Amino acid sequence: MARSKKILIILSVAVLLLLCCFPLIISEHYMIVSLLIMGISFLPFMYRFSKQKLTSRELVMLAILGAIAAVSRVPFASLPSVQPTTFVIIAAAIVLGPQSGFVIGVLAAIVSNLFLGQGPWTPWQMYAWGMIGLTAGLLRNTLFMKHMLGRCVYGFGVGFLFGWFMNLWFVVSMINQISWTEILLYYSASFYFDLAHALSNVIFLFLFSNAWIKIIKRFKTKYGLFE
Amino acid sequence: MSTRGVWSFHPAVMLAYYVVVIIGFMLSQHPVFLAVGVGFLLVFHFLIDKGKQLKTWSTMILTLAVFILVLTPVFNRRGNHILFYLFGNQVMLEAIIQGIMLALTLVGILLVFISLNQIISQDRFLYLFARISPQWALLSMLAVRFVPLLKKRLKEIEEIQKVRGFSVTKGSIKERGKNGMLFLQALLTGSLEQSIQSADSMSARGYGQQKRTHYQAFTMKNKDWYALTFILVTGSCMVFGWWLEDSVLSLLPVLETSQLEQREWVFIANWTLLLAFPLWLEGKEVAKWKFYLQKI
Repeated sequence: MARSKKILIILSVAVLLLLCCFPLIISEHYMIVSLLIMGISFLPFMYRFSKQKLTSRELVMLAILGAIAAVSRVPFASLPSVQPTTFVIIAAAIVLGPQSGFVIGVLAAIVSNLFLGQGPWTPWQMYAWGMIGLTAGLLRNTLFMKHMLGRCVYGFGVGFLFGWFMNLWFVVSMINQISWTEILLYYSASFYFDLAHALSNVIFLFLFSNAWIKIIKRFKTKYGLFE
Repeated sequence: MSTRGVWSFHPAVMLAYYVVVIIGFMLSQHPVFLAVGVGFLLVFHFLIDKGKQLKTWSTMILTLAVFILVLTPVFNRRGNHILFYLFGNQVMLEAIIQGIMLALTLVGILLVFISLNQIISQDRFLYLFARISPQWALLSMLAVRFVPLLKKRLKEIEEIQKVRGFSVTKGSIKERGKNGMLFLQALLTGSLEQSIQSADSMSARGYGQQKRTHYQAFTMKNKDWYALTFILVTGSCMVFGWWLEDSVLSLLPVLETSQLEQREWVFIANWTLLLAFPLWLEGKEVAKWKFYLQKI
């Protein structure tokens, strides 16, 4: 089990790197190939979870964390592009590990889109939030994630990456002949939104991550979940 | 939930239809094909809810479309026909056509998704999902059920905290953000504790004892099979048109005329047939309704 997990993770990271380097090598049929690569790195985790045996308590806990991540957009609706969904996913992943972090991220995307409307962005959001949860879970035992500064740096980076990745659905599906000036312009247009997301991640992580991690950890220990 | 017209079909048929139409929009890079597609979708939106849902999205769609229409000619300088010079840069006819096609593709795909959200409702979506992976479907169903519950609880928390002087609507951004997070924290603690109860009641009712079966909310009827065949036949015909490059306007090396020629008429007829399918289903119902109203 543990070994297959490691192999899976190494594979998907390699595939992600390939996805990033790909446009530099071949620019034709970028869209189809990138979708394929995404699918290849994404589906094993989806499959792995669908075959996993979970107790009812674990299942309901994952569902409630995913639902909280989705609902957390509600009280912040009046503040543009500030939403703690990413924060909730990171906090939960730090306690529960990569697999659960991935599941909560994907679930948050599915559920919030069921209420806000599905679109071409749904799979990209699933992927982006899933991967944020996965990497946060992977790094949870490192000094980097244990230290508040490291956590904030992670939140900041991930805020920008999320925005850039979400721009991709637009860039990849719309611009057949990818020209870098166009892409740069589009990305600079979204800069302030990405910045707001990144900064709000940092603020949330700085002020609340200790409390949230403590709450979830206590809960995990109290009922002996995910052991 | 409505079960007439388009909604009377099996969700899998609906999904197949949407997949084929989206592929159609991506493959048929020809202004006439795309414009016909967008036109039909607009009419369809008007038929299903008088375009109400469309209005809420219209700003976003128009902004994106204008963005592409303006930017593509500015940055794309490949082509043979120079139209005019803008600040010393030539603007190409090819680039303008390209911009129009990209904008139409984007608008078309977004329109498809807006109607998809109305036609494939939450229950249908989860039904389709459950066929692929029961575990994920169960998890999403649980989470979907929790969302209204959590919203209700969050509202209670907000009201109680308002009495104590904490609010998310008043004060500086810093205060609002902090209060919002504290409410969520209260929600987290309370909901996690109560989720154990839900879980235990699931176990008490036999969750995990044996393999779960699932409730068949939809069955494939004869008309579903006919519809599916129709969608698949017109869909493959459309892909064939793309393969022959009849439904694609070539921009380089030589710009093709946008007017339809010979075989292209066959493929546009096929594309129209595919797009008119839900329109016919809905229009039939509307006509019937009007007819019976007049009889009374």
